[in-house]
Amino acid sequence: MSDPVPLTTDQPGQVASATPPAPGRSRRLSDRGLAVAFISPALLLLLAMSVFPLLWALYLSFTDYSATRGGPAHFVGFGNYTAILTSAQVHQRALTTLIYVVGAVGLQTVLGFGIAYLISRRTHGRGALTTLFLVPMMLSPVVVGLFWRFMLDAQFGVVNSMLGSLGLGQVEWLTRQRTALVSLIVVDTWQWTPFIMLIALAGLTAVPKYLYEAASIDRASEWFKFRTITLPLVWPLLLIAVLFRAIEAFRLFDLVYILTSGGPGVSTETLSFHVYKVAFLGFNTGTASAYGILMVLVVIVLTQLYLRYLNKLKED
Amino acid sequence: MQLATAAMLLVATTVAACGGGEDDGGKASAPKAPATIPELTKDPLTLSFIWFDWPPAHALEDFANAEYKKERPNATIKVNTVPNANWHDAMFTQFAARKTDFDIAILDSQHIGEAVTNGNILDLTDFVKNNIDVNAYNPYLLAAYGQFPQAETGKRDENASLYGLPLLGDTWTMIYRKDLIGDKPPQTWDQMISAAEKCQADNPGVSGLAFHQANGSDAAAVTYNTVNGVYGGNLWDAKTRKIDGVLNDAAGQEAMDVLVNKMKPLTAKGSGNWFIDEVNAAVAQGKACIAFNWIAASGGLLDPKQSTLGTSREQILDKLGFATLPSQKTNLVPLGGMGMHVSAYSPTANQAEALNFMKWFQRADVQKKWAAAGGVPSRTDALQSPEFINAGPFNQVYADSVPRMRDMWNVPEYARLVDIENTNVNAALNGAKDPKTALNDIAKEQQGVLDSSGRKGGGGL
Repeated sequence: MSDPVPLTTDQPGQVASATPPAPGRSRRLSDRGLAVAFISPALLLLLAMSVFPLLWALYLSFTDYSATRGGPAHFVGFGNYTAILTSAQVHQRALTTLIYVVGAVGLQTVLGFGIAYLISRRTHGRGALTTLFLVPMMLSPVVVGLFWRFMLDAQFGVVNSMLGSLGLGQVEWLTRQRTALVSLIVVDTWQWTPFIMLIALAGLTAVPKYLYEAASIDRASEWFKFRTITLPLVWPLLLIAVLFRAIEAFRLFDLVYILTSGGPGVSTETLSFHVYKVAFLGFNTGTASAYGILMVLVVIVLTQLYLRYLNKLKED
Repeated sequence: MQLATAAMLLVATTVAACGGGEDDGGKASAPKAPATIPELTKDPLTLSFIWFDWPPAHALEDFANAEYKKERPNATIKVNTVPNANWHDAMFTQFAARKTDFDIAILDSQHIGEAVTNGNILDLTDFVKNNIDVNAYNPYLLAAYGQFPQAETGKRDENASLYGLPLLGDTWTMIYRKDLIGDKPPQTWDQMISAAEKCQADNPGVSGLAFHQANGSDAAAVTYNTVNGVYGGNLWDAKTRKIDGVLNDAAGQEAMDVLVNKMKPLTAKGSGNWFIDEVNAAVAQGKACIAFNWIAASGGLLDPKQSTLGTSREQILDKLGFATLPSQKTNLVPLGGMGMHVSAYSPTANQAEALNFMKWFQRADVQKKWAAAGGVPSRTDALQSPEFINAGPFNQVYADSVPRMRDMWNVPEYARLVDIENTNVNAALNGAKDPKTALNDIAKEQQGVLDSSGRKGGGGL
């Protein structure tokens, strides 16, 4: 006579292991499967479109490969990197890029924060004003470039026409060494100040009101409130906006291409524009790859240093 | 845009690297076109060209669809256009990917070397021998638009290979205001500068000169090359491949001095980025006494809708005159225009259609019709035909200029050479560089490019 089957058990685990799982019972496994199914297409796409080309570019950067010439790529070691790092042309473009990044991002930060601060103090029409200020950011940089190219034309442009009507002389905005870089900074500032403004506005509206109320009770001045409450609380957010803008500005290509073609001469030729020339005018793919890799490295290193500073700020 | 550029580069390198062919070491390696035209398809087919966006591109599409369709009703011609500054990149990035969305590339004469050494276009030598009457052409034009390497003399070498056939001839014309400087155009470069100087002084608000100075494409470079040629200079010694010491010799220095110190002060303020359209606009708005522009781009000047010089073509022509360039120490003029070249990556049926189109297009009667439609032919009979001469007031200028033409260096390194020249001349014209330093820099940097071609690693900066 066999033992009777117990109706209940003190060790349900044993029973579970003894009986086959019912369909859909292993929920964890099923979730993982689902996750893999959903993520893998995007992951594969990322690998194919981003990681593989990056690794391939890294490989090419050590070769003399040319995309148009075809044929096998010959290993040249660090030859391309040495040539780039010791090139006076690259140093000149780096300096141009640095002036541009510091000038444009600095101006955008001051203006963006200033506009955000003024908007945040308004109670009526804040939404409409914010939307209006955001319009330039929504436009394609190529459209912005073409638009400003007409505006800044020395002969037929509306800017010089306005200066003329004020009795001021004509300015060669895009064809003089000093004004060309300033023009690029101004146009970039026109387009991207709203980005800083938007982030700053988010920060400003997030500052707890009770802090201002407490300061008011203590009869603190507006400047005191700004210096001790507003700025310290918005500063970390603003620095993140500066980081994004600086990375974007470092890669500036489109505005240069449309507005000045790097001119006069090469005085507004940024690193990105120079890489484009190396890559497509001579099809020196190996050199261009090394150039691109170095630019990525510079951005990564500077970003890491910046993020460390941000973290320190957060801890303080 | 930066991302797009990076993506283009990466995709191009990836595709090209995966599908690389034989290492040709820079020698000509173009695949051969069949000597006779293969059987053509009867199915609907679109024959695609690639060119930059300017009036002749649209004229070609209209003309070909109207005329070629009479013989090949199943064929449709499409001329894809890109902005001038993207023209080289648009063609060569596709060549790099070994796949093109065009069947016929319209290459500048200087692009042929790069395309041939990379095997991007078909070798048409046998096809031309069997299908084209080469004696019908001015030999210099046929060589410029099709031959590689180009002979030292510039004339066609019967033993050299041909990779293209002429599509559109071109050179600069001098456009002058008859009502401001008189009916008789200046004959020498010095006279021209004096006339412009006087005209500018006599007519406030009108600048003496208008010419190409822009940083992109070959704008400023062609301007310097033209003045260099007129003042007896040379761009290089093709035999020894020497640029440094040739371009910047005494004649070259004089040409740069004339351009920057005598001609530039006579141009409109802020004209340092002017190219074809801006020069045309200045002329059409009555803002220039004398201007230089490519003939093929000058048709719009006679359109009353675009001009403030008159309400009819006749009124405009009362004020505008077109003449060949003045001479000085020599009478050289720049060679412009382009040839047709068959993409090596085009499908076989389209390549056959392309060859058939080219044979049709080079017929004497078609060339005359093309001339009447606004084209600039290269066949001698079409050049001298009334259809061409009477089609535009500048066409006689072209016919007279053909024996005076000089091209630039037709070498695979052209794109880099022209960029060096363009940026430096533009810098000199806009006060960003001393003219003498700019010329010496051009010579030195260009020599570096020629000397380093084929060197491994670190090139191209």
